[in-house]
Amino acid sequence: MSKENKNTIKVDVKELNLWYGENHAVHNISVPLYENKITALIGPSGCGKSTFLRCLNRMNDLISIVKIDGSVVIDKKNIYDKDVDEVSVRKRVGMVFQQPNPFPKSIYDNVAYAPLKHSIVKKGKACDELVEKSLRDAGLWEEVKNKLNDPGTSLSGGQQQRLCIARTIAVKPEVILMDEPTSALDPISTEKIEALMLELKKKYTIIIVTHNMQQAARIADYTAFFHLGKMIEYDETETIFVNPSNKKTEDYITGRFG
Amino acid sequence: MLKPYQEKIETIKNEIFEMGEIVTYANKVSLSALKENDLSMLKDISLSIKKIAIKSNEIDNLIVKTLALYSPEARDLREMVSFLKITNEITRASTYSKTFIKTFKKSFTDDLDKHTILEYAIPLLKSANLALQTSLDMIKETDDKIIEEMFNKVSVEDSKTDDLYSMVEKNILKLITKNIELSKDYFEVLSSLRKLEKISGRASSIANLLVFAEVGGEIEQA
Repeated sequence: MSKENKNTIKVDVKELNLWYGENHAVHNISVPLYENKITALIGPSGCGKSTFLRCLNRMNDLISIVKIDGSVVIDKKNIYDKDVDEVSVRKRVGMVFQQPNPFPKSIYDNVAYAPLKHSIVKKGKACDELVEKSLRDAGLWEEVKNKLNDPGTSLSGGQQQRLCIARTIAVKPEVILMDEPTSALDPISTEKIEALMLELKKKYTIIIVTHNMQQAARIADYTAFFHLGKMIEYDETETIFVNPSNKKTEDYITGRFG
Repeated sequence: MLKPYQEKIETIKNEIFEMGEIVTYANKVSLSALKENDLSMLKDISLSIKKIAIKSNEIDNLIVKTLALYSPEARDLREMVSFLKITNEITRASTYSKTFIKTFKKSFTDDLDKHTILEYAIPLLKSANLALQTSLDMIKETDDKIIEEMFNKVSVEDSKTDDLYSMVEKNILKLITKNIELSKDYFEVLSSLRKLEKISGRASSIANLLVFAEVGGEIEQA
């Protein structure tokens, strides 16, 4: 990036490489991800953006053939250090997936499950308050406050996704990863989620993978363009969408390839 | 509509309004100078075309960024396109105001029949500026009915400036036939007054663009 940046780095990725067996899927990526900002990862299918996203909370550890080197430093600690427990990483770095995936439990239990399991709260008033606060922060409380015992799966797609966001923020993460969180939603639900993200960034650092270029343009403060496992360009979103410095970025965002 | 987009639109509207206010303020001071028959007041008007052009470029760049980032559609798109053209209209109006001030100050000498000229020049300037001010006020208005009323008001003032210019032209041509030796000065005064008529033309164009933004259809500029 050309301009001086005074933002605080929340996640500092340095020389990150990832292999699926022999396939070198992520090439030597170094990027600072800023606190209380939304960073969008864009690029054609198979370019490595979701793989990269999953590196940020060690989700790729679950795949046996994956090999990773480089570092992902969150608040001065490399999450790939041997003394770091991956479950604690995933508590600090929450994730929202493409398809809303509520547990087959009540709306209340969906939100309360992880905080109870991680002993963040005990059952009772404190838990009730946390559930309410999480649902409020996710912009869902008014819609579900009278049916907290209904199954999470009874909600609409957009509501389910906001329930998943409430579930994520209930464990008080510092970073939220979102992998195409609105690709299965209609435009109204999409706008609600986007407005929610703009609210959530006041408290959290958000990194989102999206195929929707306009979505990245609308909500992200920073955008990284990925191609063939490499990060081609990373800059303020305004620069990427108005004056990208790399021709590949320009060709991609103007629909000339991908 | 996302909040950042709303904020961008508000910023653009405010910037355009401020840009227009520079021109209407200059016209108001000109009007006072004519009413008080004190052309020295015209010297105090600082209407920098360069500054207006810089401001116009800043707003245009803001509009381009907003178009790139928010991909507006339908009414939002029409509004952005209109704003892009309105900055150009205000720039042109400012050039006319500046030319009027400069030429009128130079050519309106004591030898001319001031009373006959001012009889129509004052209402002409008043109407032109009222048309421009009303068209600028339309930018901040959201009520369809009020926008329509304001559009009609701009059209009336534009029509009035046409008529007033025709009258002052007729009178000045009469004066020229009586004082051929002053014809150069009279023609220059007439030329400066023509700029006022053009200001109301730009106002009419701005009003048309804002109606296009509000109700749709096709762009029709005056």
